[in-house]
Amino acid sequence: MSALLEVQVAAVRQLTPVVREFTFAAVNGRLPGFSSGSHVQVVLPLAERTLRNAYSLLGDPRDSGVYRIAVRLQEASRGGSRYLHEQVQVGDRLQIGVPSNLFPLHSLARHHILVAGGIGITPFMAYLAELEAQGASFELHYAYRSGLTDAYTAELQARLGARFHGYDAAAGQRLDCANLLTGKPLGSHLYICGPQRLLDDLRARAAALGWSAGRLHWEAFAAPEPGLPFTAELTRSGQRIAVAGDHSLLEALEAAGVEVPNLCRGGVCGQCATGYLGGEVEHRDHYLDEQQRSHVLMPCVSRGGCSGPLLLDL
Amino acid sequence: MTAPSAEPMFSTPRYATVPNRRPALYRVLVAQDAALATTLLDHLAPTLLLSLGGELSAAVEHEQLPSSEALYLRLHALLDQAQAGTCVQAIGDEVFVWQVHRVARQAGLLGDEIELFRQGARRRLYCVHCTRLQEIGAETESSCSHCGVRLLVREHFSQRLGAYMGVCIDPDRPFATVVQP
Repeated sequence: MSALLEVQVAAVRQLTPVVREFTFAAVNGRLPGFSSGSHVQVVLPLAERTLRNAYSLLGDPRDSGVYRIAVRLQEASRGGSRYLHEQVQVGDRLQIGVPSNLFPLHSLARHHILVAGGIGITPFMAYLAELEAQGASFELHYAYRSGLTDAYTAELQARLGARFHGYDAAAGQRLDCANLLTGKPLGSHLYICGPQRLLDDLRARAAALGWSAGRLHWEAFAAPEPGLPFTAELTRSGQRIAVAGDHSLLEALEAAGVEVPNLCRGGVCGQCATGYLGGEVEHRDHYLDEQQRSHVLMPCVSRGGCSGPLLLDL
Repeated sequence: MTAPSAEPMFSTPRYATVPNRRPALYRVLVAQDAALATTLLDHLAPTLLLSLGGELSAAVEHEQLPSSEALYLRLHALLDQAQAGTCVQAIGDEVFVWQVHRVARQAGLLGDEIELFRQGARRRLYCVHCTRLQEIGAETESSCSHCGVRLLVREHFSQRLGAYMGVCIDPDRPFATVVQP
């Protein structure tokens, strides 16, 4: 990751029992501009380790005076969301990365269909500002559970009127993926941010209707799943790095002072692709094809095996 | 100048030979000559066939249009009302299929929702000196019918213009060699 920005927590809002919104202001100078769909990595100095979690920027891209993110408390958290929920207070200083965008709006779309599941609403908050400013045709579908993951629902309902379609799981309302894609105009593009199940369902429905894969855009930030501990060997320096079960290979490399370029830290963007020369690999990314997997891995999510060291071309 | 090479240039169009079997909500087949479409019908039946004429034995909804311009307008109107999941197949010479491509892209179709099948040698040439278009056949050299410069027909193709690039073949003669009538 390139240069870090120093920010101060300017405001904290508890939106729901599990969603907390943070506003960051620059400590020195101005924050860089960003486009809708961008995210930042937030450096979280936990007691036992430092995490870098990626969060979408919520605000209006034309107003980059402050950055806003919303964080869902994850039960099976590695500690990042818990730290933000329980430790971080107004006035605290944090380090964040510069914004980057892996989920931009498609500029040639005639109609934008946004589908959010729970905390997946966050990138669309920035989209809405952009789409409204452009006077673009769009609709938002938001599946949530009232009293738990219903961040911004009242605001969205008032702001979007008939373009807002809410599905409250607590009231037994289900988002019907087939219905959602039926009868959409030719230039439609679909943007999905939510659980894997929602993404898989929509992708299958769209393909069955003859939609080109190019009409679908998604973002799935997921923390790396833990695994078994293993050892990585940097073949150029001979250095050996032990990777604990609850650390990703990327985190272990960073802890050892090895910088690997990275953006999403969730196996989708391809930035951290690293060559390997031998050893067992458990590929967990959504980026590499089978042929590439024979010699490249994504250290942000993928892991080595326990049969012997993973030999990295580093 | 372009030396002949085994590999076509990146921009040189590659045409489909067999239609893909991806599902589609609505399939429009646009044919310069309906008789040419017969080979494609064996694979997947279109919802609608638009053509400039020609005989077709298969039972497919078929609209014949009197001119290319009428056909492009009809396709435009059709796609304007169409839903996502529509795909377009075009069969004809390069001038024809790239006009269809242009109409389809303007309507919001993505590149992989359009399939082009080439039949015939007629193609378009863009003169990079006077920026005008003309129609040519398979020849690799031509004189610009507008500015008269002798042109080399490059393999480099513009999808937007649906045309190959024509560049002055002789740098010592960057002007008309024949006086145009």
